[in-house]
Amino acid sequence: MAGAEGNGIMKRMWTGVGDFFDERFDMRRVIKEFAEHNVPDHVNWLYCFGGITFLCFLIQLVTGILLAFYYQPTMDQAYSSILHIMDDMPFGVFIRSLHAWTANIMILMVILHMLRVFFHAAYRPPRELNWLTGVLLFFITVTFGFSGYLLPMNQLSYWATKVGSEISASMPFIGPSIQAFLLGGAKIADATLTRFYAIHVVILPVTITILLGLHFLMVRKQGIADPL
Amino acid sequence: MSNNNQIDSSHEQEGGVPFFPDHFLKEAAVMALLLATVAFLASLMPMPVGEPADALKTPLGIKPEWYFMTVYQILKYVPRNIGVTFTFLIFPPFMMLFPFFYKSVICKWKYGRLTLHTVGALGVITAIFFTMLAYLGFE
Repeated sequence: MAGAEGNGIMKRMWTGVGDFFDERFDMRRVIKEFAEHNVPDHVNWLYCFGGITFLCFLIQLVTGILLAFYYQPTMDQAYSSILHIMDDMPFGVFIRSLHAWTANIMILMVILHMLRVFFHAAYRPPRELNWLTGVLLFFITVTFGFSGYLLPMNQLSYWATKVGSEISASMPFIGPSIQAFLLGGAKIADATLTRFYAIHVVILPVTITILLGLHFLMVRKQGIADPL
Repeated sequence: MSNNNQIDSSHEQEGGVPFFPDHFLKEAAVMALLLATVAFLASLMPMPVGEPADALKTPLGIKPEWYFMTVYQILKYVPRNIGVTFTFLIFPPFMMLFPFFYKSVICKWKYGRLTLHTVGALGVITAIFFTMLAYLGFE
């Protein structure tokens, strides 16, 4: 509700901030180029799954950080800290449910995105490396799902992780080492929970952020593939 | 960010719509729809906490998440070490690397890409089939 003079001050301030970054990083040209780049005509609604996956990732980032404020990764406290989040925290049920639902939708969207790229043969040269980062992103997203499944420490978490670790143990040569690495001991215990937590909230988020950066830079540089 | 290399400029010459505001608005609408969907699901179907973990009480019918269901179900029919070797050691490198052989191998044969895509489609159908079997409770 500022008057004409107030608007003038605001405008000058923003222009000043814009000039500051423009002089140092050539920001206006970069933003203008991005805003004005053309999206080819053959792009239809099938091309939206990648973007949806990215928004899912952002939702997971925000809700995940909120959950991490209260979640406690120990055998004693994990389940009760989830109860605490759901019973006592404002919007606790909503935030946790949002995290769990978005996780499922994110995996579905990654799969749909991959299928779209595969059947359009958009993986073909010169975009092999972007397909490669995409496949890695798929495996990371699924690993997010597997590691996050244990964290509430309910019956499903416990037994699904037990079965999952037994399946990975039957891999030839490296199986037993992988199981030992996952569990941090002979059975699911505190060591397992802290490992899964570290994987879920540190290792995977850092990795996925780097790979998403590469994925987007390559799309920007190479453009969207021509239709078949 | 992007200077005009051949790949970029070929698209810019063909026309299309500017990213902002044309494409951006479509994208924004899809994003709003996603936010509405997850907010709707989280509000009306909140995730239950379930029973606390009990190492001494094996629950009946342990089922993994839906995206692991295909592998879980197939492992009931094939020897475990073969299934696991394929899932973890053969399938991932193949998926990651096949585009590098697109020109040198796949397109050497007239029907190479058609074959590859048919294999992909059969893979999708197989995955859906075994997921359904799992949910219908086939052992």
